[in-house]
Amino acid sequence: MKLLTRYNQVNIISTTVIFIITGLIYYQTISWILTNQKDKSLAVEEDEIFEYVHLNNKLPHIFQSEDQQITFKEVKNDSVKRQFIDTEYLKKWDNNNFHKHHHKHKNRDEKEPGRELISFIKVGDKLYQIQIIESKVETEDLIRIIFIITFVVTLLLILVLLLTNRLILGRIWRPFYNIVNQIKQFSIAEPKEIQQPDTDIEEFSELGTAVTLMATKAKNDYTNLKTFTENASHELLTPIAVINSKLDTLLQTENFSEVQSKILNDLYGAVSRLNKLNNSLLLLVKIENHLLNKSQRINLKALIEETAIQFEEIIADKALKLNQTLKEKEIVANHYLIEILLNNLFTNAIRHNYKGGEIQITLNAENLIIKNTGIDEPLDDSVFVRFNKSANSEGSGLGLTISRQICENFKFTLNYGFENGFHCFIINF
Amino acid sequence: MNNPKYLQQSVRTFEHSVMKILIIEDEAGLRESIEEYFTDEGNICEIADNYTTALSKISLYRYDCILLDITLPDGNGINILKKLKESNHTDGVLIISARNSLDDRLDGLNLGADDYLVKPFHLSELKARVSAIIRRKSFNGSNLLIFNEITIDLLAKEVKVANVPIKFTRKEYALLLYFIANKGKVVSKNAIAEHLWGDGIDMANNFDFIYSHIKNIRKKLIEAGSADYIQAAYGMGYKFSES
Repeated sequence: MKLLTRYNQVNIISTTVIFIITGLIYYQTISWILTNQKDKSLAVEEDEIFEYVHLNNKLPHIFQSEDQQITFKEVKNDSVKRQFIDTEYLKKWDNNNFHKHHHKHKNRDEKEPGRELISFIKVGDKLYQIQIIESKVETEDLIRIIFIITFVVTLLLILVLLLTNRLILGRIWRPFYNIVNQIKQFSIAEPKEIQQPDTDIEEFSELGTAVTLMATKAKNDYTNLKTFTENASHELLTPIAVINSKLDTLLQTENFSEVQSKILNDLYGAVSRLNKLNNSLLLLVKIENHLLNKSQRINLKALIEETAIQFEEIIADKALKLNQTLKEKEIVANHYLIEILLNNLFTNAIRHNYKGGEIQITLNAENLIIKNTGIDEPLDDSVFVRFNKSANSEGSGLGLTISRQICENFKFTLNYGFENGFHCFIINF
Repeated sequence: MNNPKYLQQSVRTFEHSVMKILIIEDEAGLRESIEEYFTDEGNICEIADNYTTALSKISLYRYDCILLDITLPDGNGINILKKLKESNHTDGVLIISARNSLDDRLDGLNLGADDYLVKPFHLSELKARVSAIIRRKSFNGSNLLIFNEITIDLLAKEVKVANVPIKFTRKEYALLLYFIANKGKVVSKNAIAEHLWGDGIDMANNFDFIYSHIKNIRKKLIEAGSADYIQAAYGMGYKFSES
């Protein structure tokens, strides 16, 4: 859930709740004030009646007005208390107001909310109960109008709030998303730095500073590690060279026993592997550092054919069937690296094949596919991981890692697939 | 100009020439091995273990070939190469470097080095490269490499035994040249494999191919009437020698 959505959610819920509570209080207050006013008007009416009786010593003549009804009733005892009550006002319809309301009301009589004052008065010896009822319909209408206005204004407020939030918060949060996007695209091996966002909001500029600092640190650590690997490999070259030359010298001293020859042979093999491993590591570091970026146009078809000739005798020795379907394709890349790539893929296709197996090489404008028979089950995706190799493989375990690294270097993709008993390595240009 | 001795003779055959070599290398172990490998045929090896010594040697003496390590403790070997070229000396130069970078290689070759070899290497490979440099430098026009009854035309890549041409494959031809350059030495199978296939092709059964190539070379040479010069050495390698 986005911060803005969550923020709006909280905002709307709290605004709505506050609006409802305010509305209720508002309603109650206005209602109370207006009822009070009604009561006062009823009391004025009562006063008038009292005054009339006081002056004339008889009950006034009763007349009906549109929203006021007065009735007198003779009562025996003095059990009547003076009180205001809510009641119903029975509207009597005459022709006048029928015209106004006939489309709304079918009945001639209609009940409306009303306010009643019950009081009493003595006229001579007789005690009369006075009932003054006034319709409250206009009061209610007033309250409703006030309520509606309040409601509409509140809705408008929420709407404006939402819109401004969307606009202003969207703009305010822009540097944040900018940083997030940069972090997403951040690669420890790429030279691209994370840009400090252009913002005057302290939190974001602080976040930007922290992220930039972290990225720089990570890059430095990574560079140091790479430099270390490179230096270590370079430093190893000289001792390996010494061992190699000493072995060559030792070989010239005559008369070896069989045991000694065996030991020497193993030493040669081990030094040779050590050297290859070291060279592979160096090569990986160089590719990752983009140190081998001198590109040229390469006729890939010709290069594949040349490589196939290099492997000719090895392929023949394993009685492998080599099928080549090559179309003309030119790429711009480093010749040395592409040679290594092809050598690695060829070696792979031959090494993990069985005697009498098959290799199919397809080259067209979009991709290069090298398929080979081998063990009859797909390999998992860790084939590209460093030092991941089958138990009986004599390779360094770096061949495919290097191959993939080379492809990535030239923005190609190298993928593995298994179909119809063929292991496929596919390079998409 | 102090011309090397070999230029005074119009035709010389390679097998009789004595090489005069300067080894500029600060790593004692490596330097001694190279010296030992190159000396015992009557070749003359001089050594320089630092930049200063190397500079004074090249200003005083001329060599058939200079083995130049470019990473020296007190200077960059590339400057030695520059000095040589500035003084128009024609000494062959083979750069030995631990830096296997294409740029270094190109820089070195552009500055006039004859070849570039990356550490670590086999002594037999070094010898083959040095021989090739000296051959290219010395035989102005004549491209014949003669070893007893075997004559090799280096331009036409033709091998003849007593004027009978022998058909060799590319690899067999390369292998024969390699052997002749390292005659009298045991050449390890690893060195041969690296020479024939480079380090790009790394196969366990390469040794089997070496065996069959060598079998073919011997057969072809003997059939053409040559003596059998190639012997297996303790299962570790092969030796090309007269005896």
